[in-house]
Amino acid sequence: MIWFDNVTCTFVKGAGLFDATFEVEKGEFVFVIGPTGAGKTTLLKLVYMEIFPDKGKVVVDKYNSSKIKQRQIPLLRRKVGMVFQEFELLSDRNVFENIALPLKVRGEKKREIKSKVYHVLDELDISDKAGHYPSELSGGEKQIVSLARAIVKDPIVILADEPTGNLDPVSSFKILTLLEQINKEGTAVIMASHNYNLIKDRGHRFIEVVDGRVSA
Amino acid sequence: MMETFLYLIAEGFKNLWREKLSVFASIFAIAIAMSFVVFGGITGQDFSRIIKVARSQYELQVFFSPMISDSEASRHVDEIIKIRGVKSANLVTKQEAAEIFEREFGENLFDLLRENPLPSSCVVKFDENVKKKFDVHPIVNQIKMIKDVEEVRYQGRLITIIERYYQGFFTIVTGIFVIILLGTMILIFNTIRLTIYSRRDLIRALKLVGATNRFVRFPFMVEGMIEGFIAAMLAGSFAYGFIRVSNYFLAVFTRYKIHWDWQVMWQFVGLMVLFSLIASRQAVRKFLK
Ligand SMILES: Nc1ncnc2c1ncn2[C@@H]1O[C@H](COP(=O)(O)OP(=O)(O)OP(=O)(O)O)[C@@H](O)[C@H]1O
Ligand SMILES: [Mg+2]
Repeated sequence: MIWFDNVTCTFVKGAGLFDATFEVEKGEFVFVIGPTGAGKTTLLKLVYMEIFPDKGKVVVDKYNSSKIKQRQIPLLRRKVGMVFQEFELLSDRNVFENIALPLKVRGEKKREIKSKVYHVLDELDISDKAGHYPSELSGGEKQIVSLARAIVKDPIVILADEPTGNLDPVSSFKILTLLEQINKEGTAVIMASHNYNLIKDRGHRFIEVVDGRVSA
Repeated sequence: MMETFLYLIAEGFKNLWREKLSVFASIFAIAIAMSFVVFGGITGQDFSRIIKVARSQYELQVFFSPMISDSEASRHVDEIIKIRGVKSANLVTKQEAAEIFEREFGENLFDLLRENPLPSSCVVKFDENVKKKFDVHPIVNQIKMIKDVEEVRYQGRLITIIERYYQGFFTIVTGIFVIILLGTMILIFNTIRLTIYSRRDLIRALKLVGATNRFVRFPFMVEGMIEGFIAAMLAGSFAYGFIRVSNYFLAVFTRYKIHWDWQVMWQFVGLMVLFSLIASRQAVRKFLK
């Protein structure tokens, strides 16, 4: 479903990702680990095609980085849920509106949006926060909201870049558990993390990145 | 589809409201500058009514040689009518000329002389609906070329002066309009740039969740259009006020009154909205990726 074929992607100073080849299957749960600056974020950006390989190709579902057209990128992003360390929620919109955004963008009807958003709010047990603004939420709650925003569009994969990076151990564990729960329902998850203690015994595959080299 | 459209328009209003201070400062500046143009445009348009009246008063007197008969003169009059820009040409027969003479001087020419020495003549009037610059000279020259025409009398200088002022006025108003329109575009371009900058978190979020370019850009264009529209409406209201005040003072020493012209007003609003749209589209193209 996601396939890196000999991908090299470098930045001006020579850092980046080199000759990366690996595959992630439908419904799989994969951790991407490695020291800081190794290229984990770079790898994830290649998946949602924020950046493109210099060499090789990235294939996500039916989209191929070497063939994709500019106007198809939004279509790809509608199938990929993203969660970041910094949450990236819109501060001037409440929880409901933040989660509704991916559906608005797809042009869905108000009624559908409402039922889908309340459904995920329920699933993640934060229905009581629907009217809150991000500034009125704890870090853990913010991350749950951004998780909700990622899954509301029913993606084929969730990319989580250090989702627990700003959270306390309890919240971190909660986020991980939620990701696993989502994964059980069939969505693949690729999660980059530093927090080895949190992720070591979960029974998922690791992709290790060191100095831009990937060992799957 | 419709829901999305309305949503994006609402987003446009939200953008505008977020930056309300700088937005309304620009709108106000545009409106003040534009109000003079609207005032000038409407006054000029209205003044063209007077020009039309003046044009319908213009007349030429064409005198034929005394040697030709009224019927020969009448054939020449038919030629004159065919000239472009001529509305009417009426023959004044020798007999009529004598009657006019008698009326004005109280003396019967036939009492003094045995035969009528007056030439036949004709009075020429012009078509006042010529939109563009009106010039009598080509018409005069054509008339002079007709055989047996001895003299053409007209108030040429006055006509020329009125027309020249009128044209000059429009050239100036148009020039100012173009300059202010450019200024408007720059101001709108700039407010859109500011909004784009202040909304970069939103833009990023939208792109990450799969918004198309059109979806991301549309609200900014809506914002630009609304700004242009509000500025135009404000400018219109100011100009309306100027005209009311001007009429108040004009009433003191003339019977002339400037009439408000809705057609000019709506054309102006349309033009402003169009150019605001162009300006915001340029800003979006330049600053949104
Ligand atoms: N836009 C960029 N321009 C130049 N260099 C970059 C850019 N983005 C990343 N890099 C470099 O590429 C390398 C990999 O960066 P990346 O963000 O993928 O690391 P990471 O593994 O996510 O690190 P961390 O664990 O700290 O988040 C780093 O050396 C970084 O400095
Ligand atoms: Mg990173």
